Amino acid sequence: MNPEAQFEERLRRQPLRKVPADWRAEIMSAAHTAGSRPSAFTPRPSLLSTLFSPHPKAWAGLAAVWVVILSLQFASRDRTEVVARTTPPPSPEMLMALRQQKLLLLAELVEQPEPRAADRPKALPPRPRSQLRPQFLNI
Amino acid sequence: METQMPSELERLYDEHALALFAFILNFTRDENDSRDVLQEIFIKLARSPDLLASARDERAFLLRLAHNAAIDLMRRRGTRSKHHGQFGAEQSSAFAPTSDPDEVAFRAALSAALGELPADQRAVVHLKLWAGLTFEEIATTLEIPLNTAASRYRYGLDKLRARLRPLYDEIK
Repeated sequence: MNPEAQFEERLRRQPLRKVPADWRAEIMSAAHTAGSRPSAFTPRPSLLSTLFSPHPKAWAGLAAVWVVILSLQFASRDRTEVVARTTPPPSPEMLMALRQQKLLLLAELVEQPEPRAADRPKALPPRPRSQLRPQFLNI
Repeated sequence: METQMPSELERLYDEHALALFAFILNFTRDENDSRDVLQEIFIKLARSPDLLASARDERAFLLRLAHNAAIDLMRRRGTRSKHHGQFGAEQSSAFAPTSDPDEVAFRAALSAALGELPADQRAVVHLKLWAGLTFEEIATTLEIPLNTAASRYRYGLDKLRARLRPLYDEIK
């Protein structure tokens, strides 16, 4: 065993003082007396605190994260559905007009003649090339 | 509750009072304060019989209660607690008395050296050496990170070694 470990072991072997013998009866008596009447200062732990007692900070942190997630989700919610729901349904007259418009369009499509071949683009005469460019180059 | 009838409270006292008393005495350096803290723990246990129900390790849980109660007491005492480290050597020792002169000198020196440590280092050193807790258990008991527990122990032990080395070498 190295000297450091020997020193540690020497400390560890030091016997501890005993609890004064008369304390036991006094402390037990005080504890029983206090235990038999409800305390005005230390309320019993509630169901929630008992439930979350091992790591209350961790639970609180988790709850805070959920609150943030839910609030973000609520803030960035798509409101399209709400708009669609609040728009009144079209009137029967409007539906009739739309149906007639559709029939007219279909009739026009059926009666339209075969499309003729597209006109070929006219051949334009060659345009004179700019005389400026060589001048620039000469400079 | 059935598990916390008076006999159960007495069992807890018989099994853990020695370890709790030594820890509290080493922490507060005062016998009367130690008695108050010890009594407070058992009153708390009597009032909340299911307090230990969720504890995985009874001893570690009770030491944690003792530590919290001792800190509360020292805070309540205010200025007095500031001098705990300074006058630790003059106050109560957590070690058993002996008739061997070398041991008397060594225990007195050890007690004085412990009194000079900051309370947080003294708590870790005590839990490691005399309560036999691992660093993980100490970290849980004192609600500190594992590395902090290990470093406090190392610093505390280095100071004790520096302080006790001459006497230790002499009586070895």
